[in-house]
Amino acid sequence: MRTAAGMRATMSAGEDLADVERVLAGDVQAFEGIVRRWQGPMVNMAWRYCRDRSRAEEMAQEAFVRAWRGLAGWRRESSFSTWLFALAANVFRSELHRFPAVNVPLEDVAEPAEPAMQHEGLARQQGEDSVRRAVLALPYRYREPVVLFYFHEMDVAAVASTMGLPDGTVKARLARGRDLLRKRFPHLKGKSTPLPGPAPGSKKEVLQ
Amino acid sequence: MKTNLNPETDHHASRDAIDAILASEEDLIPSSGFLAAMMERVREEAATPKPIPFPWLRALPGIVLIAAAFGWLGFELVHAVEANPQEFSVMRWHVTVAAATRPDLGPIVWVALALGVAMISWLLSRRIAGGSGLL
Repeated sequence: MRTAAGMRATMSAGEDLADVERVLAGDVQAFEGIVRRWQGPMVNMAWRYCRDRSRAEEMAQEAFVRAWRGLAGWRRESSFSTWLFALAANVFRSELHRFPAVNVPLEDVAEPAEPAMQHEGLARQQGEDSVRRAVLALPYRYREPVVLFYFHEMDVAAVASTMGLPDGTVKARLARGRDLLRKRFPHLKGKSTPLPGPAPGSKKEVLQ
Repeated sequence: MKTNLNPETDHHASRDAIDAILASEEDLIPSSGFLAAMMERVREEAATPKPIPFPWLRALPGIVLIAAAFGWLGFELVHAVEANPQEFSVMRWHVTVAAATRPDLGPIVWVALALGVAMISWLLSRRIAGGSGLL
């Protein structure tokens, strides 16, 4: 089954190529098409790295500027989106090395509250937020594969090409990262939940 | 959703509540000014002249000259040490350097060396900066 993001990438591949050619020929305005198509995924990817909206936009902007500068370096061996995501991951990684996102040790991430104690919906929301915050508390070598795994809609090959690592390495780090999360939230372990698709009217269309 | 993990062989691949939570995260929509701000930055980038690359070709003669000078100095020092080893020791490095030159012309040689180095740096910097160039 192909992901919506994958279909979008295929559909936009021709437009990306055309825009890149125009930019390289000196048409600065053609870069707008690239930004328009990829701003959503880039901001969301940055958001998953830092969980800070304004910083995510700054990081995405920086990634686009680096893409602008390095456009001639895209060798067409991989798709434009693969190249862009790999470049963005490098930018985000070095930005977070320079100014780390404020996070807490994994063991200090709050446990989700008991649903009975609060409104069920609110409790569920808080529980989900705790799990998402816990991802940022993972050691860095496990955090990035986990972040990218869910960003790329659970596609290990896409994570591997974004990180420039072999599939096996990504799988090992991913398994370790998910193990750490399961140990932190033992009550969620083994709870099989059907993976939901985008809810009608949700903001998921940015990636589609 | 797709996954390359095999649920039959990898228990981590089973989709559990953590997967469901992390995979179902809603996406942010970039702020309305993002595109405009981005394009503004790109236009600024485009208007900025490209950084001047270091003129390796022009600098090459100077680099070779300096390397040769240091090589010659090293060669002379090694010769001097071999010729008179008892005069040279780590504790008497100033004597070592002085012994590499003629003792009676010591101060003059030092001044000449300093002037020479200053001249070479001045000429080299002029050449690299694209000045009138005496070299």
